[in-house]
Amino acid sequence: MTVDSGRRAGSGLIMPRRTLLKGSAALGLSGLVSAPFINRLHAQESHPLAGQKIEMNILGIAGWLPSSLGVKMSPMFADFAKEKYGYDVTFGFAEAPFADLFQKAATSLATKSQEYNIIISDSQWLGALAKPGWILKLNDIIAKNKNLQLDWYSDTVVNTYMKYPDGGEDIWGLPQEGDTKALYVRKDLVEDPKEQEAFQAKYGMKLPSTFEDYENLNAEDYEKVMEFFTRPDQGLWGAAWQYSRVYDFCTCPQLSIMWSRGGDIWDPKTGQVEGILNTEDNAKAMELYKSWLKYMPPGATNYGIAEEIDVWTQGKVATCLQWAAVGLAMITPENKDKVLVVPPPKFGKGEEAKRVYCMGGQPWVLNAYNDDAKMRVAIDFLNWWYQPETTLEYAKRGGNPTDKATLSNPDFDSINPWNRAYKFMLEPGRSRDFWHHPRYSEMLAVQQEGFTSYMTGSTESAKQALDYIACQQQQILYDDGFASAGPSDACSAASL
Amino acid sequence: MSTNSISRALDNRKFLVFALLAPVLAFFIVFNTIPTLWLLGLSFHKFSLISGTPPEFFGIRNFQDIFFNKNNIWGDLRRTFLFVVVGVSIQTVLGVLLGFLFWGSKDMPGRRVALTLLFTPMVLTPIATGTFFRFIYDPTFGALNFLLSGLFGTGVIDFLGNPSIAYWAVLAVDCWMWTPFMTLMTLAALGSVPKAELEAAEIDRLSWPQRVSMVIWHHGKFILMLGILLRTIDAFKTLDLIIPMTKGGPGQTTRLVAVELNKQSFESFNMGWSSAVSVLLLLISIAMTSIFIYILNRRRKAG
Amino acid sequence: MPQRLRTTLYYAALWLVSLIFFAPVAWIILSSFKTRNDILATPPKLIFSPTFENYVDLFTRSTFMLQLINSVFLSLAAVILAVFVSFLAAFCFSRFKPKGTDFLMFLLLSIRMLPGPAVIMPVYLMYVAFGWKDNHIGLIFFYAMFSIPFSVWILKGFLDGVSTRFDETGRVNGGSWFHVIFKVVLPQVKPGLIAAFIFNLIFVWNEFLFNFIIGGVSTQNIPYALAVGAYADGGLNWTFIATLTSIYIVPPVLFIYFFQKYLLVGMTFGTVRGEV
Repeated sequence: MTVDSGRRAGSGLIMPRRTLLKGSAALGLSGLVSAPFINRLHAQESHPLAGQKIEMNILGIAGWLPSSLGVKMSPMFADFAKEKYGYDVTFGFAEAPFADLFQKAATSLATKSQEYNIIISDSQWLGALAKPGWILKLNDIIAKNKNLQLDWYSDTVVNTYMKYPDGGEDIWGLPQEGDTKALYVRKDLVEDPKEQEAFQAKYGMKLPSTFEDYENLNAEDYEKVMEFFTRPDQGLWGAAWQYSRVYDFCTCPQLSIMWSRGGDIWDPKTGQVEGILNTEDNAKAMELYKSWLKYMPPGATNYGIAEEIDVWTQGKVATCLQWAAVGLAMITPENKDKVLVVPPPKFGKGEEAKRVYCMGGQPWVLNAYNDDAKMRVAIDFLNWWYQPETTLEYAKRGGNPTDKATLSNPDFDSINPWNRAYKFMLEPGRSRDFWHHPRYSEMLAVQQEGFTSYMTGSTESAKQALDYIACQQQQILYDDGFASAGPSDACSAASL
Repeated sequence: MSTNSISRALDNRKFLVFALLAPVLAFFIVFNTIPTLWLLGLSFHKFSLISGTPPEFFGIRNFQDIFFNKNNIWGDLRRTFLFVVVGVSIQTVLGVLLGFLFWGSKDMPGRRVALTLLFTPMVLTPIATGTFFRFIYDPTFGALNFLLSGLFGTGVIDFLGNPSIAYWAVLAVDCWMWTPFMTLMTLAALGSVPKAELEAAEIDRLSWPQRVSMVIWHHGKFILMLGILLRTIDAFKTLDLIIPMTKGGPGQTTRLVAVELNKQSFESFNMGWSSAVSVLLLLISIAMTSIFIYILNRRRKAG
Repeated sequence: MPQRLRTTLYYAALWLVSLIFFAPVAWIILSSFKTRNDILATPPKLIFSPTFENYVDLFTRSTFMLQLINSVFLSLAAVILAVFVSFLAAFCFSRFKPKGTDFLMFLLLSIRMLPGPAVIMPVYLMYVAFGWKDNHIGLIFFYAMFSIPFSVWILKGFLDGVSTRFDETGRVNGGSWFHVIFKVVLPQVKPGLIAAFIFNLIFVWNEFLFNFIIGGVSTQNIPYALAVGAYADGGLNWTFIATLTSIYIVPPVLFIYFFQKYLLVGMTFGTVRGEV
């Protein structure tokens, strides 16, 4: 049995936050409930499924707002399908937390089961789902459906959510939720004249307090902000970033710092990791990231998405690097006037300074074993999802669309407090995704072990941890047959 | 009895034996023998569920890799053995102590309620225990840090983030959950001592150590050893407590063998490698159980 | 020190120990009556205005009843099945001692020795091959298999303690084996049956991994809900975890309160017949 799609998702926490959106209603974007754009449609087209009843199941990420938004909007599709195509569709919803969703999807798909018809996958799982033939290749479908031939905001979108293998032409997913890193800043603190004065006196520079200030802020100056607000005696710390062993929590910010400083993690063509990941420069990036722990509350080495939300909403930190997708959870009715969402800091000096942060977000993928009827409904659903009206409604409810038309709308920036930063980070070159390789979860696990081992001090040197990760990943890719070279002889000595 | 009826009875008996055993045997063959053979077969193959290719015969490569410490599997085993030895020892000592204390409190008001409260940790859902202990241990919001700082003036302790503490913090939760079980086993063991012999010992004015060594140990050791055996087996398998608390981190510090196996089999879907590790674990646990059962039987016969 | 005072102190100390062990559970139960902000308050709050909203929220979740029914149904069905077949097998082992009894008893224990993922991986592959995944029967049979070894061990101990004279008398008086097994012997091993029942029930009741791997949408139980529902809106859903845990712990606690006597006798593996 499955869940009503119309249920209140998760806890009752979402509802009060709807008040947030009242602001956007004033911008002329409101009034788009489901009814108007159904009426707009003309007579029913002839549809092979007309008159039938179909039950669809969506597998999404537990407690992840964009996933539950997709589900909560599904009744609108049911109305739409009834009106336009003449069939009845009901949606069921199953979920698993981030760290377990791939497990849930894979164990089901391996049985060729139709338990889940449409799946919200994390972007890095594309390869692992595509390689065994579990999900449908979408090239033909996109070619046949005009609605799916969208102009995406940037290549980053296409590379992150749609393509596997990297650089190829095969398309396996379509973006459900776009997501980038953003820096959440306590507006009430940075705009406080007293704080600004004290900061000026201490560092001889202006306390960054606007979007533009942060756009131009580099890591060195950001460190001053963190240091300035680290006041344990007042129960306030400078920042919260993710360091946890769970899933990709420590990896995302750490890779962001490596990339921004000009480092890389592998060669996606040859599968070479050794010598690319374990460089002195990347080791320095790890040392830098570890040194920031002193600006964070004790226990920050266990911070993931959820823990960050806890410390942030309880007002314990002045800044927080967090996904744009959890904006609705970060910005509560109590703190909604105190939050500024800005681009995270650049690395490097002057003109050379740049930022390349990790991509987040999830694509829709379709179960390859869907029977004809379910596949047809799934494709109808995607067609509906990318209608401009649906996309706008999704944005208004707190989701992040990825198509150029919606994002270029002048009103988009003001729909939600994080939209401007999100769009900024989605510009070409500012964000990228890591591996889409099928052995992703294994490579991630050793990387997480290596990173957290160093961050918590159980491995002394960053280079040692990096060597271990590089050797293990090289071995994984070599075993898989993807990398042409196995681990080098030096690897026999690599350990945590 | 005529020969005829004897043979009939025998037939009947054979049939009866079969009929009585059949259901369990059926279960055993379908859910144990077949999977175990499957496991054994796979352990000689290279097989990943996500590669899209069928299992490929691999000879003993998987076992060679285990021997040469691929994925640091020996580190996991070392941590697991330490976990079992230290954990079960603490639980046994504390549990037996509490068992003796409660044994002597037959007239205590509300004894049944007190025992129920004591036994509650072991019936709590491990997945919830792990999640909530992460909260209790939390340096910012956790109750334990608040309590310790208030009582002993310790600074903020990052129980699960500090690699030199995390392992012991997880072990402590395991002890909290399972010490009551050893108390239960001790109470059962003490209950199995015949009252007459205890009264005789009292009349003979035997000292407490004498009573324990001469009367109680003699009757109670079987049950106590069984308790230790069950705890050893379960501690060896510890998984769902660790997953929500640390997921094996920080680094690899709390990565017990079951945690790593779970990752390899159901996150990475390396079924061949995981089968080989499982076969190794099966051999280890058969060895451990054999030793225990040997000790049990010897003691029982000697006693 | 007068005897009375000493006894009082002794009892007080024992109560204190029990309460210390119970304290984390009490903290969870207390948290279930708090709002999210009260749970996350620093310093932690002992005094707060209780709210029942968490419980209302929980009961209005559309999946809650399904998960609860699954939990109850799966555990009862699996454990009753397991205890029944185990009793038959234990009777056979105890009375007829067929060849290889010891070896079979040992093999039975072997499935309890392996870590969960090692047990479930081949079973999962088998279920995939046979199409048994996401199926109540498939899960019940597997849980029953997992509950059989311990049940056989306990029950054999108890049956060994029941004199064979009872069987003989029953047989001589013309009773069928059916009559002897179920009417004569069964009532005498009640503590063993109850102990086996409770211990296995607690295991299946709290089981997560197998349900997650070989179960599916239709078989999800409460531990599954706890793992899956731990996150809401990207944050940890403390109110939900606390509330669900508090409700879910009630049945096993009632069991250990009402059947405490049988539990203690049961764990003697049949060496004691009276009260412990």
